[in-house]
Formats: sequence, structure tokens, C-alpha cells
Amino acid sequence: MAVQSLDTRRLRTRTRAKDVAGRWVFLLPATLLLVAVLAYPLLYTLQISFSAFDLGTFAPSEWVGADNYSRVLRDEAFHNSLTVTGIYLVMALPLQILLGFGIAFLLNAEWRGRGVIRGLFLIPMVVAPVVSGGVWKIMLDPLWGIVNWLLGLFGVSAIDWFGSSGVAMISIVIIDTWRSVPFVVLIAAAAMLSLPKDVFEAASVDGANWWHTLKSITLPMLAPIIAATFVVRWLGAVKMFDVVLSTTNGGPGQDTNVVNLYIYRQAFQLLQFSTSSAMAMIVLVITMALTFVFLWSSKKMEDRL
Amino acid sequence: MSHHSQTQRFPRRSTLTGIAGIGALLLSACGGPAPSTQDGGGLGTAEEHVQITMMSNDAFAQTWQDQLVPEFNKKYPYIDVTIDSTPYDSLLAKGLLNGTSPDPDYDLITLDDPWTPQLADSGLLLELKDDAAEWTEDDYDWDDFNTAPLAAGEWDDGQYGVPLRSNLLLMLYNKDLYQKAGLPEPTANLTWEEYMSQAPKLVQDTDGDGSVDSWAAGLTWARGVLSPPFWQTVLNSNGGELFNEDMTPSFNTPEGEQALQTQVDLLKYAPSGASTYNYTEPLDAFRQGKVATLFTWGSAYRSAAVDPEVTTLTPERVGIQTMPAGSEGPGAHRGIWSGAVFKNSDNPEAAWTFLQWMSSKEGELWASNNLGSFPARKSTLSTEPEEEWLAPVFAATQDGFDVAASGEMWRPRAVDSNAIQEILANETSAAVQGDKSAGEALEKADEQIRDLLGK
Amino acid sequence: MTTLEAPLTAQPRKPDNPRRKRRSAAAHRFRVWGGVATCILFLLPLVWMLLTSFKFQRDIFSVPPKVLFEPTLTQYVDVLTRGGFAGQMLNTVIVAVGASVLSLLAGAMAGYALARLNIRGAGTIGALILVSRGVPPIALAVPMFLVARSLGVTDTHIVLILAYCSFIIPYVMWLMRGFFLSLPKELEESAMLDGCSRLGAFFRIIVPISLPGLLSTFIFSIILAWEELLFALILTNRSATTFPVAIAGMVGDTESGANWGALAAAGMVTVIPVVILSLLVQKWLIRGLAEGATKG
Repeated sequence: MAVQSLDTRRLRTRTRAKDVAGRWVFLLPATLLLVAVLAYPLLYTLQISFSAFDLGTFAPSEWVGADNYSRVLRDEAFHNSLTVTGIYLVMALPLQILLGFGIAFLLNAEWRGRGVIRGLFLIPMVVAPVVSGGVWKIMLDPLWGIVNWLLGLFGVSAIDWFGSSGVAMISIVIIDTWRSVPFVVLIAAAAMLSLPKDVFEAASVDGANWWHTLKSITLPMLAPIIAATFVVRWLGAVKMFDVVLSTTNGGPGQDTNVVNLYIYRQAFQLLQFSTSSAMAMIVLVITMALTFVFLWSSKKMEDRL
Repeated sequence: MSHHSQTQRFPRRSTLTGIAGIGALLLSACGGPAPSTQDGGGLGTAEEHVQITMMSNDAFAQTWQDQLVPEFNKKYPYIDVTIDSTPYDSLLAKGLLNGTSPDPDYDLITLDDPWTPQLADSGLLLELKDDAAEWTEDDYDWDDFNTAPLAAGEWDDGQYGVPLRSNLLLMLYNKDLYQKAGLPEPTANLTWEEYMSQAPKLVQDTDGDGSVDSWAAGLTWARGVLSPPFWQTVLNSNGGELFNEDMTPSFNTPEGEQALQTQVDLLKYAPSGASTYNYTEPLDAFRQGKVATLFTWGSAYRSAAVDPEVTTLTPERVGIQTMPAGSEGPGAHRGIWSGAVFKNSDNPEAAWTFLQWMSSKEGELWASNNLGSFPARKSTLSTEPEEEWLAPVFAATQDGFDVAASGEMWRPRAVDSNAIQEILANETSAAVQGDKSAGEALEKADEQIRDLLGK
Repeated sequence: MTTLEAPLTAQPRKPDNPRRKRRSAAAHRFRVWGGVATCILFLLPLVWMLLTSFKFQRDIFSVPPKVLFEPTLTQYVDVLTRGGFAGQMLNTVIVAVGASVLSLLAGAMAGYALARLNIRGAGTIGALILVSRGVPPIALAVPMFLVARSLGVTDTHIVLILAYCSFIIPYVMWLMRGFFLSLPKELEESAMLDGCSRLGAFFRIIVPISLPGLLSTFIFSIILAWEELLFALILTNRSATTFPVAIAGMVGDTESGANWGALAAAGMVTVIPVVILSLLVQKWLIRGLAEGATKG
């Protein structure tokens, strides 16, 4: 016994310096890759955002200071796209989190078909956005879409799903929810499975009713998971543009022109690479700030519980 | 058979180089376009073929590769042509990327009507009339082109592109629906006034079940590259113009407002959801017999009336003609896909030879008879097409070229044409959506374009 | 819900027990049928996609919508014989698997370091990584193209694989960090006592027992790479083009109008492999996540 512990102690002293290096070895591959594909491009974009862009050489040319930024900040369409993105997020996120956890509760019921149902539920997630946008577009067509036809059977008059501004955003949210909820469901289902069962049993022996169990036991235990899922979903949603691109293309007018779509078009269709870089940097800063607020408040919430 | 070879001509550096190169990223500068080789690369020999590649719009890359290239190879067996399809939305940007590359992937590009100025002005395209004269066949007849389509490839007194697929904004109509409404079939003399007075009658209940199931008009209302041309055509046919000679916006006039109001008013006689109509949706509605008239690109005729897998209509029941007339005569709007050679190509001679063949009298005639694409040459348009349905289409196309040329019915010719078009699309669609009046929308567009052009 | 498994004949001790049992059985039935109904609702668009994929273009738009129609394989033939669709599928597989494997390797190691190795500032690094998932892809696309071009690697698989690492690695790090946090600490400690290095302990002890987590993370990485459009559009031309680019073309500017039938057929062709893959590993997916995602 004594010999062994002496051995390990000696081993530890000898390897202490090596150990610090050893720890960083784990971070090395990811760090190298992320510097190359994330940090460096971001710095490059930052540079472009302060420069003019020469299309003849396709490279940033002279330094123009904050010109691009002041132009962007005066751009009404950019403001509009930020607002539109905000509206989308406010509508989509709570809905998707709520639905995700609700459906996960249903799917976690133990029975023979559970595995199959859960597996099938994954499919919408793997349909490429271009495809799902197209499929929903033909289903929601006001003239010959199956949805309006089905609603018609119940006496609902035809809805112009992509035509009027409020409804178009609702349609976008529906499509996006269809694609995104399965992921939330997966995480939520997994999280609920990891909750200790005996707490529920104890509660039900105590005669606690369903609502009470939910309020005083389940929700507090789920709160950190809900918060974590929210942050992850938020980071995905804030980048959304392909569903819009393949359905309304930002319309009607500019009412669903989310900021990532707007920037994409400024860059790759109008070839305004400097200003679109400035926009991307602004969006990045806003996203970062809000994410830290969410992380911070979810930590606060966790500490309180 | 063709000598189409599948060899890859891209330098494939190894994975290792790529990763090792990451360290060098910070040092790397971006080179400008490399000078093209002086000798033009020749036309190939039996031993050594010349390989050329073309980036092309999705809509026709495949048919060209499968059918047109083998035909070309009958005459030029030693030039291997590869045509890649590129989605429309990224074609211009990718052309720009390729044109500025020191190691370009492509020799040729198809350019949509408003794009030539941007690429030519950045010095990325080969001038064809003078700079490529030594590689031009003696019998290549420049004067035989209609002026309107040839002008799409012009910039700053140079000719940077030749028309490969010509197109025009025209009017298609469903004869049955006109008959049911008890209206005479449209003629080229039909005016907007007459059309608007007939439109309410074209909103009808065709099967007598008490609900309206057929409407008057289909066109592009949704914000996008295709929405301003309709308004512009109405404006042009009333004698108005987008810009005056020194590129100052001149559309913010009563004629402009009236033209936009026409586009807005037509929504009243269109199916529900029409405000979201881009290119496909009104075409689908027309093919299903839901709208009596369709204002769209003439090339849609084939899928609207001819191809039974796609449409419920037949050529006998679908008419085609120029758009209704304004005070200055009928309207049309030019939409040309031009072919251009990148200046940094290693094989400009072979590339230009391919374009020449495609746009020659021989090649154009072959393409319109076998692929159903519209020609730009007067000589081709005056032939009797092999396909019977093409005859009225050729007639409408020739009329359309004439009116387009006289009324300058095409999109702005400027380096900023995409940005201008975007502003016009935003503002005209705001009027269509009812967010602004036609007058307010044009006021705003005028202001923004002046700001953009520094006027 | 274990009360359900009690024999039905058992006599209730408390007077309210039968009611509770009935109620709980009803609740269980509600959950099962509610789950089935929701699942069907979510699958309806896919059913419609399947039907559409067997239609001629002229039958896709009709009033009322056609459920009975003359079926055709023309859309599938069209998609599968389209120049290079098979090649594009292969490219997609290569890029998705390549990016996922690379990201999994780098991301799992880093996730482990953040979870276990007491690295100073691990919390901040973790948060930064999480936040980096929110970087607008457009902010990366232009520089990536410029760099790829100056290295002469545009239109290669490797450039797309590296580009995809920019959003998959952070994702893997986040998932795997949570997963490693849930493992008992004693595992690698005992391994290191046996003379393993940290790296040795990681690969010999930690990786094998983390297979469910790694597997589910792998599947999600594949899905992320599978449907990516923007980078593929910008960084590839021909040799490395993935299928989302091809599909984007089908509904783009085609003269016959968007071919929704071909789109649906392409959708079916591209969805099926991933569905089979995820159904096969469905059990591990949930298990892997249960331990990973929940430890945020």
C-alpha cells in the first residue's frame, strides 16, 4: 500500500509540467480549426466592413473608416429586417419550446410503439430547408393548396397564407416550427427521461395532483434544461433564412425579410460586400450580447432554484 | 459521337496542402486577374483536345450539354465543352469570383440582360468585336442580329456578349376563356384602356357552380427581379422612360404613376394570393386554365401550351402577342441571355468559337428548331420553323424586338443595375401591397436611386 | 407511471385509489394517442411530398387537390438522371461524414478538456463556443471564399469540410461537454493510476463508454452538414457540389416554372438515407442525448 502511494506521488510531481501541456493538447485541434475557419474569417470580415471593396480584383481595397457602418445604420430596409427578425423570434421561440416539451411529454409515455414514433418524429428535421419550403409552399397555396382545401371542408374561407404581412409571418413560423420542433422534442424527451422517477412516485403517493406535481416538482427540475434548450434553439433561429428564401423570399413587400436573408442578398445579389460585412458584424454583436444576457439570466434562475 | 471527355481540369491540391496552408492564410494576398494567353489556346487537335467550361443558368445547362454540344462537336471535334449549371441567384456573384481569379475554373458565362455592364466595367470580359476579331469567322454576320438583343451584350462602345437565348415579356392568352366571356380575341392593337375595361368580364364562373373559378390576369407581382419590368413596359409603351440620357431617373411622372397603378389595379382581376406571384405561380395558374391572360416571358409558351406533361392547354388554344398598347404603341421588354468569354480564360479562341457557333445563323437555327429557344437573328426569325407552334411565336418575337428597340424597353444599363432594380422592386411592390400609393412609391424610388447614383 | 403495472385485480387500500388508477390509465391513454396524433400531424407534409413526387407537373396544382392521379416515375427518373445528381449525393456524403468525423474528434477532445481538466477560464471558453454558434454564416462566407481561392482549393471536398467545421465543432463541443460532465470522475482517475496518460485514458476508457453520446452527436452533425446550402453554394462549382445546391436550382429560374414534382422526388431521395440511419440508431440517440444535452 505505502509503496504504491509513494510511487504515485513521485509520478505526479514528475508529470505536473507535462500535465498542463497535456490538458491543452485536448484543446489544440479544436482551437486550430476554429481559429482557421471561424476567428480568421471573422477578422477578415471585420476588415472588409471598414474598407471599400474592389470588384475588379474581388478584394477589399482602401480603408474607409466607419463609412459602411454609418451607411448601414441609415438603411431603412436593414432596420426593417432587424424588426422582422425580432418579430419572428418572439413568435417562434416560445411556441417551439412549449410545443417541444409538450410533445416530448406525450412521446415519453411508455408503450410498445414509443421507439417507432420517436424515430418517425425525427424526419422533418432532416428534410433540407429548400425542400421543406417548397413542399409547404404547394400545401399552403391559396388557390390549390391542400391546407385551404381541408379548411374549406370545415367552412373556413380561403386564407392567403403568404399574401398578407401578418399571415405570411405566421406561415413562416409554422414551417420553421415544423422543422425545428423535433430537435427540441428530442432534447426535451432525453431530459425528461433523466429525471429521477421516484420523485414522481413519491409525489403521487402523497396524493399530489397532476397540476401540483407539474408546478412544484417537474417544472423546477426542468427549468435549467428548458433554459439550455432555449439558448440552443435561439442560436439556431437567429440564423434562419433558408425557409424564407424558399417560400416568401422576404415578401409580401419586405414583411418577412429576415436579417440574414437581407444580408445574403446584399452580398451575393447586389454585390455590396462592404456594407453587407458591416451588417453581419452588427448582427453578430447583437446576437452575442443577447446570448450572454440569456446565459446570465438562466444561470441566475438556476441559482435561485 | 462527340468527343466529350470527362477529364477534370481543376488543379486538385492535396488535403495536406490545404491544411498546411492555413498557417499561410494571414500572409496570403489576393491576386488580380491573370493576363490571358496571347495565342488564344487554339482549337485543339486530334491528339490534344482543347477543354473549355461554361457556367450557365440552370434552366438550360443540361439541354445544352446533352444536345447542343454534340452538334457543335460535329463541326469542331477537338473542342471539349463542359457546361455546369449554376443557380440563377448566385450566377452573377460566381461569375465575378471566377473572373477575378488567378486560376479560373471557367472560360465562359451566360449573362442575364442587366449583368453585362457590371462584369464588363470591372474588366473581366473579353471584347468580342474588335479584340477577338482575329478569331472571328469571316462569315459571322453581326448586322443580321436584331439591335435589341445584340445591345444586351454592349457596354461602353464594346461588344462583350452575344445573344444565346432571346426572350421578351409578351402576352399569352387563353382563347377558350375569352370565348366564354364573350370577348373578341386580343390583337396587337389592343390598348390598355380596352384591356382594363374587358378585365372584369374575364373574372368568371366557367362551370356554373355559382363561384368564380377563373380570373383575368397573371403576372409577377411579388417583389423580385421580375416585378419591375411589367411596370416599366407599360411606362415605355406610353412614351415614358426610366432614365434620361445622363442616367438621371425620369420615371417619377404622371405616366410612371399611371403605369404602376395599372399593375396594382390588375390585382383586382387576379386569383387570391396573386400578390405573391413570382414567375412560376401565374404560369401554373395559366396552365390550369385559371387566368385568361398571362404577361410573362415568351419562352414560357412551350411549357404553357405545348408540353402535355406540364400543361392542360394546347397550342391551338393559346395565343401569343406583344403586350397591350399605350399611347406610343404596343409593349414588350427585352430579356436576353448573352454568352461572354472571361478575359482570364486560357483558351479564349476555343471559347469564342463555341459562342460564335451558338449564335451563328447555323447554330441559332439548329437551336430554335431542336431546343425551341428563341433566336435573335432576323434571318432565323424569318424562316419557317420546323415546329408548327413556333410560327406565331416567331412573329410575336420579331414584333417584340422592334417595339423594344424603338422604346428602349429594357432594364437599366448601368454598373449598378442590380441595385437600381432592387430599389425599383422594393418600391413598386410596396405599392402593390398597398403599403404606399403608386405616387409615393415612385417618389421614394426616385430619391433612393438618385442617392445611389450620386445625382 | 409504474402504478399501471400493478395487477388490476388488486384491492385498493385507500378509498381514492381506483379513481386515481382510472385517471392515471386515462392519462396514459391520452399521452399515447396524443403522441400518435401529433406524430401523424407532423408527418402529413411528408405524405404530401411523397404523393407529389409521383405526379406529373400538370397534376400538382388542381382544384380540388388530387389524391387519386395517374402515378408516374418521371420525376424520379428526371432527378436521378439529371447530370451529376448521383455525384452530388456522393459529395454530400463525403463532406457530411468528413466534417462530422473531424468535428467529432476535435470537438469531443475539447469538450472533454472543458468538462474535466480544470482549465482556467473553461467556463468563459465554453460560453464563447456556445455563442459562436450564433455567428451569421454570411459573415464567414466571403472571407472563406477569398482564402480558399488564394490557396487554390475552391471546389474541393476539403474546403467544404473545413467550412462546415466552423459550425459543427462548437455544436459537438457543447453536446459532448455536457455528456462528459455526467460521467463519474473515478473512471479516468483509476485509468491514470494504471499508468495511462490523459490522452490514453481518454481514448481507451472515456471514448468507449461514451459511444451513445458520440453516436447521437455524430448523427446531429451529419444532419447539420447534410442540408447546408450557403457555403456549398459559394465554395463549390462542380466537383464538390452538394445536393442542396442542385435542388435550389430545380425551383429557381427554370423556363417551365418550378418543378415541384422533381423537388419532392429529390427530397424523398435525400431524406431516406438519413431517416434510415437515424431509425437504426434511434435508441442510442435518445440515450446519448439524455446524458449530454441535459447537462448544458
